[in-house]
Amino acid sequence: MGSRFCFVFVIFYFTAVLILTVALRSANNRTFYKLCTLEAEQSRLKQQLWQKQLQLENLINPASISEHLDKEAAPE
Amino acid sequence: MIMTKSERNLRFNTNESLSTTKLKNVRNTIVLLLLVLAAFLLLLARCFYLQHFKNEHYRSISIKQQQKLVTLKPQRGVIVDCHGRKLAASNKIQAIFAEPRIIKDTKNTSTKLAPMVNMGAHEICKLIYESKNPGFVRIKVGATANECSRARKIYGIGVQSDWQRHYPAGPLAAHIVGFTSLDNRGLAGVELKYDKELGGLPGQNILLADARRRSISLKEQSGRLRDGVGIILTLDATIQQFARAELLKQYEGYEAESAVAIVAEPKTGALLAMVSLPDFNPNNIRSADPNSFRNRATTDQFEPGSILKPIVAAIALDGGIVNKSEKIFCENGNYHGKGYGRIGEYGNHRFGDLSVREILVKSSNIGMAKIGQKLGKKKLYEGLKLFGFGEKSGVDLPGEVEGLLRPAQKWTGYSVTRIPFGQEISVTAIQLVRGFCTLANGGHLVRPYVVSAIVDNDGEIVKLKRPPPRVGFVVEPEVAEWIVRDAMAGVVNEGTGKKAKLQKWQVFGKTGTANMAKSNERGYSESEYIASFVAGAPAEDPAVVVLVSIRKPNVELGKGYTGGTVAAPVAARILEKTLGYLGVPGSG
Repeated sequence: MGSRFCFVFVIFYFTAVLILTVALRSANNRTFYKLCTLEAEQSRLKQQLWQKQLQLENLINPASISEHLDKEAAPE
Repeated sequence: MIMTKSERNLRFNTNESLSTTKLKNVRNTIVLLLLVLAAFLLLLARCFYLQHFKNEHYRSISIKQQQKLVTLKPQRGVIVDCHGRKLAASNKIQAIFAEPRIIKDTKNTSTKLAPMVNMGAHEICKLIYESKNPGFVRIKVGATANECSRARKIYGIGVQSDWQRHYPAGPLAAHIVGFTSLDNRGLAGVELKYDKELGGLPGQNILLADARRRSISLKEQSGRLRDGVGIILTLDATIQQFARAELLKQYEGYEAESAVAIVAEPKTGALLAMVSLPDFNPNNIRSADPNSFRNRATTDQFEPGSILKPIVAAIALDGGIVNKSEKIFCENGNYHGKGYGRIGEYGNHRFGDLSVREILVKSSNIGMAKIGQKLGKKKLYEGLKLFGFGEKSGVDLPGEVEGLLRPAQKWTGYSVTRIPFGQEISVTAIQLVRGFCTLANGGHLVRPYVVSAIVDNDGEIVKLKRPPPRVGFVVEPEVAEWIVRDAMAGVVNEGTGKKAKLQKWQVFGKTGTANMAKSNERGYSESEYIASFVAGAPAEDPAVVVLVSIRKPNVELGKGYTGGTVAAPVAARILEKTLGYLGVPGSG
């Protein structure tokens, strides 16, 4: 009776470890994929911000300001 | 127990049939086992074959299936002016592309894609049909994330992300900053000169991917991604704008062929502005005229004319060949002799005895020719070499030319009398600026430079491009100071450069009107000129030196063509705005 219980326990233990390993691996893969996605998203947002900065630079560089002032100063 | 014969026979027969069945069974079992063994052997052989002979083949297939190669392109470094204003930067853009060779129904694909990217189906259809590359045709550059995610679901349509170079200031500093090719390689200006530093290093990640090509984990990193470093220029976008706006006005007003303006700091050689016209918009390089790509300040050489006179006078004074009070007879406007031909004055002036100061103020050709003769070939040549003529100034911009200063051995009697007033010698605008910066810097030679520092992505300075410390001088400081404060200030106060006079600051300067050599025959043209003016202020402690040179102003307009008329007012306006902007205190 005792040896049968041991046998069942070992089988159960191995199965559980196997399932846990698979679950952990899947979780790891999912997390890594999520990390990659979030990193890509972060980089996209950074680029968006950078693009806005460049647009601002477009507007405030001396050439644009001078052009704007000239237009304002020009008679209607 | 006694068995009958028939019983015995029956038993024997039964035993015999039993042993035959047993034998059969054993034989069958053996055959089966042998078959199983053979199958296993076959399997083993196949395994051996696959493992040993087909190893590489299946390994590569397996690697292809499991791995995903991601090439990471580095972000090209930024170029900023001395106040950190961005002049060039890269931003990431998404481009939707099509692969014409795998699209079976172009019309259907275009119709599906059109509403997603907000374009006409016929437009997309045309792009795909007319594509010369069967593997790639760009449909939309700068697509949004939403557009990309929808478009990539269509078969034959893909999304590519790439870096795009952007120049926020447009044509303002186009010749200094330069531009890049479509694959982000520097093609001109600082972009070309510092291409390696700006470009950075690409990285490559090898990732394990699942059946749907989603990344599972990072397997290997071959080559670490390193973004390009940033470059800080000595250029000030505000001063650049002053110079460009003023020069452009005159360039258009006089219908000139080209024009150049340089603003430099004489004590360091730092270039605060450099304009070359015609220019171009680096954001739209495809539609620009290739002729406008040339930075004429460093690539175009020309005979400087009278603008060279103060430098030759400084060489003569420094060598003790003439002194400040000495009077030189200027032959009443007609100097001729064997070996050097006939020399006249501009505007047929008839000057008599003139001091060195008066020669410069009145811009006498004969006076300078006589100074040249006194100096002699060797001293004049060596003096000009020391000022940096006939060799590259060393400015950190590509394509600089050396100009032309022939060796003294090849000079004739004409050379020694013509070079002192700027003929028979070719210089670039940057060489002239270097020469006058040296005079304004008390005779200490300076090297013009445009990059002040290289910084990494954390803003730390990687390399400081500081000018070398002052050592020795080209001409004695007293001579340089006298030329600047007395003679050249006199040119502006009472001579040919009156139009450069400013109320607040004492300006020093020199005009130059050089006849251009005829292209198809000997001699000089009487209708084509290069009008130049070099100036600086305040004369007592020069903060900036400005050079303006306008090539071929249209004489037929009747507005004038001389350096004093065409270039001096531009230099004065640039000086006035720059000094005010820099907060330089007024003279006296």
